[in-house]
Amino acid sequence: MSTNSIYRDLLLDHARHPKYSGCLEHPDLKASAFNPLCGDELELTLALSGETIHDCRTQVRGCSICIASASMMSEFILERTLSEVLQISKEFSKSLRKDTEDIPETIESLRPLIDLKPHRSRIKCMRLAWDALEDCAAQHQT
Amino acid sequence: MQHHPLASKVRDDFPILKREINDFPLAYLDNAATTQKPNCVIDSLLDFYSTHNSNVSRGVYTLAEEATEIYEEGRESIAKFIGATDSGNIIFTRGTTESINLVASAWAQHNLKTGDRIIVTEMEHHSNLVPWQMAAQASGAELVYWPITPEAGSTSVGLLELEELEELLTDSVKLLAVTAVSNVLGTVNPIAKIVEMAHERGIPVLVDAAQAVARMPIDVSGLDCDFLAFSGHKVYGPTGIGVLYAKKERLDEMQPFQGGGGMIRQVGRQSSTWADSPQKFEAGTPPVAEVSGLAAALEYVSDVGISEIQKHEKELTAHALNRFAEFSDLELYGPQDTCDRTGVLSFNLRNVHPHDVAQVLDESGIAVRAGHHCTQILHERLGVAASVRMSFGIYNEVSEIDRLFSSLDRARDIFLD
Ligand SMILES: Cc1ncc(COP(=O)(O)O)c(C=O)c1O
Repeated sequence: MSTNSIYRDLLLDHARHPKYSGCLEHPDLKASAFNPLCGDELELTLALSGETIHDCRTQVRGCSICIASASMMSEFILERTLSEVLQISKEFSKSLRKDTEDIPETIESLRPLIDLKPHRSRIKCMRLAWDALEDCAAQHQT
Repeated sequence: MQHHPLASKVRDDFPILKREINDFPLAYLDNAATTQKPNCVIDSLLDFYSTHNSNVSRGVYTLAEEATEIYEEGRESIAKFIGATDSGNIIFTRGTTESINLVASAWAQHNLKTGDRIIVTEMEHHSNLVPWQMAAQASGAELVYWPITPEAGSTSVGLLELEELEELLTDSVKLLAVTAVSNVLGTVNPIAKIVEMAHERGIPVLVDAAQAVARMPIDVSGLDCDFLAFSGHKVYGPTGIGVLYAKKERLDEMQPFQGGGGMIRQVGRQSSTWADSPQKFEAGTPPVAEVSGLAAALEYVSDVGISEIQKHEKELTAHALNRFAEFSDLELYGPQDTCDRTGVLSFNLRNVHPHDVAQVLDESGIAVRAGHHCTQILHERLGVAASVRMSFGIYNEVSEIDRLFSSLDRARDIFLD
């Protein structure tokens, strides 16, 4: 029935059962992101050991794409360093550009999201969690 | 299939309705955001650029005279459409937003002081809120909110009550800014009565007619409102053109909005003097093609007939309200009765985000809007971040509404298990 739908199984799994959802009680870093177009909100909390993210949670009030992206991001960033995930976030951003065709090996697992890029109105939904992540990284640097 | 004399009569006039989206015929149900354009409007833009294009008022050659005539005749016909007795009360802008900003900066900022109040309602579009916040901050005035009726689920939800207004109309109120039709709830506000009450206390009223202009007759003389704003693109006309109607007394109180060509009488080295209204408020090269397109659109709407349009919209709205009543997982906001509302219907499907609903509908060729529709205060009041909105135009059919309700089943299948 939904053969031509953008809502593929993997995305829906993440949207229905988001990983690492909620808030850490004593985060080392915390950032919110807001989508002024639709009022969606997201809060990311991170726990670090040194430079490495060893726990994270996202609290999302948003659509399925936003929730799925936050869930996939959480799986992706655990046990990686802040500078590593910042780099990944930049690559993800670049891969969402209209004219980017090659997807680097490092972000292959984000392909279900990247495949949605023809839907330009949903880019911000996908980026919300990552924007909060970049905000956390920036806080850590200063 | 039910009969829809109006929709079947006009559909062929709108070339875009022949489009297919994702292999389905386009069901365009986002008319509160913008309406589609009939051939006569498209042709008038084409005709202006192919045969009359030149700048207005600044040349004696034939083309310049033609362009000036098109522009000023446009002003006349727009004045007539909204019941203004003099086209000198019609100022052209880029849209409702610019019209309201014009009043906020050219009138309000010069006439407000610390302690003054501006009444707005909880259902206003950001463009009838933010300019007033800016004017208030610049002058030391304050915004006062006229609340909407609260009982969720009751038949009276989303209305403005005149008894509430009575309380708010104090001596310090210097302006009341209110929408004629809510772009979310569909509520039709009792503008004539509101103006009357405000005027009893000498308070000017600005009417945001962005949603009203394509849905009901507008008569600024009968209403006696001080200001009225609307956008061309919401009444089957082009983008980039809007109208501000201002009463003579208010025009006389207004300072220029922007400085530049066309709005001056005499320019000196240090200061200048102003042209008469409405030119005083129209600095720079005006949107001539857009005015000709808007005039064509209003002529089209008049030919179709506003009362026909109202009848058609009432039918569609009644049908949609009946369909909503079938589903307990759909929450519809705003009045539940066609007496108090028009064909702008915002709702939520329980446990599914509006973006996801709108995306699934698009996959079936149905265009609706999801988000807060530039009404964050109202959505806060409704207790939701966002909603899905369907809104009707003259070409919509009952079958398109039914397609929407069937496609909601797909959203249920995908997101709810
Ligand atoms: C009630 C209302 N007011 C104002 C506006 C702003 O109109 P525009 O964006 O054309 O300036 C809209 C449009 O969405 C509206 O629905």
